[in-house]
Amino acid sequence: MSVTSPVSTTAVRAAGIWKVFNEGQSSEVTALQDIDLTVEAGEFISLIGPSGCGKSTLLRVIADLTQPTKGTAEVAGMSAAAARQQQQYGMAFQQAALFDWRTVRRNVELPLELQGWSKSARAARAMELLEMVQLADFAGHRPWELSGGMQQRVAIARSLAVDPPLLLMDEPFGALDEMTRERMQNELLRIRQETGKSVIFVTHSIPEAVYLSDRVVVMSARPGRITDIIEVNLGSRDEDTREAEAFFAGVTAVREALRGRTGGSAARARVGEV
Amino acid sequence: MSQSAAVTSASPGRTARSSRAGRRFKHGAASAGWALLGILLSVIIWELVKAVGSVVPFPFNTSDTTMPNVWTMVNGAFQPEMRGSSTTVLQAVMMAAGYSLMIAMGGFIIGVSVGILLAITMQRFAFMERGLLPFVIASQTVPLIALAPLIVGIGNRFSVGPFEWSTTYSVMFIAAYLAFFPLSVGALRGLHAPTPTSLELMRSYAAKPRQLLFKLRFPSSIPYLVPALKVSAASAVVGTVIAEISTGVRGGIGRLIIEYSREITGQPAKVYVAVFGAIILGLVAAALVTVIDLYLTRNLPKEGPA
Repeated sequence: MSVTSPVSTTAVRAAGIWKVFNEGQSSEVTALQDIDLTVEAGEFISLIGPSGCGKSTLLRVIADLTQPTKGTAEVAGMSAAAARQQQQYGMAFQQAALFDWRTVRRNVELPLELQGWSKSARAARAMELLEMVQLADFAGHRPWELSGGMQQRVAIARSLAVDPPLLLMDEPFGALDEMTRERMQNELLRIRQETGKSVIFVTHSIPEAVYLSDRVVVMSARPGRITDIIEVNLGSRDEDTREAEAFFAGVTAVREALRGRTGGSAARARVGEV
Repeated sequence: MSQSAAVTSASPGRTARSSRAGRRFKHGAASAGWALLGILLSVIIWELVKAVGSVVPFPFNTSDTTMPNVWTMVNGAFQPEMRGSSTTVLQAVMMAAGYSLMIAMGGFIIGVSVGILLAITMQRFAFMERGLLPFVIASQTVPLIALAPLIVGIGNRFSVGPFEWSTTYSVMFIAAYLAFFPLSVGALRGLHAPTPTSLELMRSYAAKPRQLLFKLRFPSSIPYLVPALKVSAASAVVGTVIAEISTGVRGGIGRLIIEYSREITGQPAKVYVAVFGAIILGLVAAALVTVIDLYLTRNLPKEGPA
């Protein structure tokens, strides 16, 4: 597993992003209003906010899956479009979106296949990634034979296939039960530790955002905008972290920011600037 | 997920696969049993209706000329086709059914190819879907009886180099004309089937249109393609038989049914043998499609897509 060297120090730079749906019609919705966000290389960022705050839309703008009405998004020092063409990010969704007709291994191979990798090279790479997510024994299984958590691990392995410096994750654990979810969070932190990826993680869950992130970006709806960015300094995480004072302080800080009371009684979590 | 959980859930997967083959065999044997029972019941009901009809007056004709006994039909199958001819009725019917099957298969292959190409074009270009789909649907409302002589008439003047149109091609064309429709509609739905998430995933990989088609849209369309293929195959067979009758092409089962029905007063069994030949033709076509289906769905969950 090659660790991506931090060539550029900025993983993502979004500047003055607006996204307006149905512009000029009575149904006009401002999904994103003047979003500025910079993600440093190797940083773990969560986007949190109520439904309709535009967090998924922002992720899609960065992924070049949708075009901003105004503003620019850069990934790895290039335009979002160029970054997508050059596979500078990997993506994971709430639905694992594995292809039923492919085995687990061939699902992980998919992005490599599209890039024209040789059969043996992509098989070797897929097995390497399945080892990492501890599913090597299931390489020959079909996705429907796996549990939801296992499917999500395959999806994460797939998003890492081309070894992109950035992971974009849209509520990847949203459909999992609480126990599986916590295990998956630890897995993700371990993988991120091993690979040094930058991550933008969209979630509804406050504890999840605090547990995973270096910074939690709090958004509000109608119009969708960033209201706060909360820094979390929990050091290296383990199961005890979930019961630590600092963790609760972080959760409280994010919760108050979501309620619109900024600069609350955050113990070790600080309200930061962009 | 822990390693022990991984190991325990691995073994059921494996046993499920091996017992699935066994279950399929048992399932097949059971179906064959039911089919035999069905045939037996049909024979009994047929003979019962005849027996009762000879005593009680029925509102329809149960006499031997219209409803011959089952054993008369079986016996008739092994009579010479014509006085002094060496081929039996059964042989003549089987040859005719084989001939029709070839035409139907040709029509099916052409129809399926055209149907898939149309579906791809309509899926790729929204304006094509809006423009073409009404015509595709309208094409099926033209009565076949009106269409057949037109196609024969137009085709008869048609020749490219050494290729000369024959009426047999007209029959194949009509079979294809009926077969393409269910397939193009089914394939179109199938090509539209991928979830928004899978489409976004492919876009995030910067997949080319061709890759999108072959790696996502085609495989996703298979659950829709399978029933469409069955209907198409049936349409091709029906189209062949009807087109043979209305164009008067010799050699096929359609023409044979017409010829034998003229002899119904003299040899009533003959037309029934021909009808059974047409039924067997349909069953063989269905069996061929089942083989295609089993191949296409070999990688999909047997209890339907997850």
